[in-house]
Amino acid sequence: MVTIKVDDKACVGCTLCVDECPTDVFEFDEAKRLPVVTRPEMCFGCLSCSKICPADAIDHQGILISRNFYHDDYAVRLASRLGLSTPPELGVSAEAAEREKALEDLGIRLLSMASVLRQTLGAALPAVGRMAGTTLAAQLPRYQLPETFDQAIQVVRDGLNPAWIIGDTARQNGSLKVSVKGCFVRDLCRREHLDLGGDLCTLFGTYLLGYLGKVTKSRLKLVHTDRTWESCRYDLEVHT
Amino acid sequence: MKATVSTEWLSGCSGCHVALVDLHEKLFGLLDDMEIVRSPVLVDQKTYPKANVGIVEGAVRSEHDLEALHKIRGSVDVLVAYGTCAVYGGPSGVGWLYRKDDVFDAVYERGPTNAGGERPDSGVPSLEESVRPIDEYVPVDLYLPGCPPHPFFVAAGLHNLLDSSKPGLTHRSVCADCNRKMQKRAGVQLVPAAVVGDDPDLCFLSQGIICLGSVSLNRCLAPCPKIGVACTGCAGPSLDVLTDPNRDTRTELAERMEKLCGIPRKDTVSYLEMNANTFFAYAMASPTIYKKPTVEIREWAGPSQAATS
Repeated sequence: MVTIKVDDKACVGCTLCVDECPTDVFEFDEAKRLPVVTRPEMCFGCLSCSKICPADAIDHQGILISRNFYHDDYAVRLASRLGLSTPPELGVSAEAAEREKALEDLGIRLLSMASVLRQTLGAALPAVGRMAGTTLAAQLPRYQLPETFDQAIQVVRDGLNPAWIIGDTARQNGSLKVSVKGCFVRDLCRREHLDLGGDLCTLFGTYLLGYLGKVTKSRLKLVHTDRTWESCRYDLEVHT
Repeated sequence: MKATVSTEWLSGCSGCHVALVDLHEKLFGLLDDMEIVRSPVLVDQKTYPKANVGIVEGAVRSEHDLEALHKIRGSVDVLVAYGTCAVYGGPSGVGWLYRKDDVFDAVYERGPTNAGGERPDSGVPSLEESVRPIDEYVPVDLYLPGCPPHPFFVAAGLHNLLDSSKPGLTHRSVCADCNRKMQKRAGVQLVPAAVVGDDPDLCFLSQGIICLGSVSLNRCLAPCPKIGVACTGCAGPSLDVLTDPNRDTRTELAERMEKLCGIPRKDTVSYLEMNANTFFAYAMASPTIYKKPTVEIREWAGPSQAATS
């Protein structure tokens, strides 16, 4: 449970936190000129309110301290260059050449990140991927939390599209087979003429599993991986 | 038994030591619990006697500063970086932008008041290559920034230290103590080079005037905005700026001004970059600022900029 405390003495009554909160945790009391925490259960700890607060008057307890990806200016700029900020149904996209260049930049950044992690952490690379996936899943807005296993798979499917396009999933007696059809890492490897199964594949494969495990609330053990240029298949053992 | 306190003064202006004396009557209350064994302004003591708490003011600029710093670190249990210079480099930190030779050239060879062009080479300590905050050289236990820290915070810090509990200082920004009203307003333009606003009760940001209050730590009780002058951020960056690698003074301020009065983010950012010497004045020599991936302080305020402006 997240506890949010607003320091009344420090608050300057600018209402920025009320506007900023993505899940409408605050309401503004016009008489007192203070924000009131009305729906603390909706808070998923993005810290947007705390970051925007001019007086730094909002304190959170019981949140996962992790830096939020949308605070990364470089990532935001890269995403807008990729045309991801406009919904695809509007038919607006960045120019093809600019998009190519942005994809190249993204590839270079990801590859260098994976190799730095491999060099500094060595065999702990899968753990990093899994941890990152778990962290992302822990930041899901509350109203998305699924109840059944199938719903969970659907959340994963929706959440990861279009970076990954999850194909068929087959579950029986504690084993789960997940096939991944579209994959941006595979596209990247194709573009850069790299073999499948490198550091980047390990990192994002485990990232995917961490995310899947957290959303489905189960412990997943990777038994076998089958990677081809068309689709990859992960054979998993499920412990609930 | 009384706790013993030793203080030292490096490259700074002595203002922080004056702030210590500014405790007035509170100092007597504190002296019941502590004894000052060494202090350049209060005690005639040239050596470094053993003490429980060491308080260091000023940044490291010269060979003498460095030696004094190592000596006081060796003689105390808890070292406090006291004042913005010790914590971030402070105003003297601007020397970080230039190489040692450039500083000597500007002062002793090209300086209009020093026509002889002779560099002093004896009887004075030689300069270090750059100006650095003290934690670049020795481990620091506690930080109390401020230019100078307000006696309220000095007293609070010392009291808490002597009671061997955690310092009860908050992480609020200057806005927390400012009594101006922050409001959303439409049609406000960025007012360059202004520090005084038309409306004495309205927040500077709502009037389009750059005020660093919201991005600066409150160690001052907000005296400047209270009497009508925009904050210059003398206590260094706020916790938000310090802890997030991708945010700095200019991005935080630009975001707030955009959301409050619709001033385009780009305008604020480029204005702050053009005047980086002013807006990053107090913390530019600290690696927490200049090593941020978003900050290119040497490019914005360095020698090439000084030559053109």
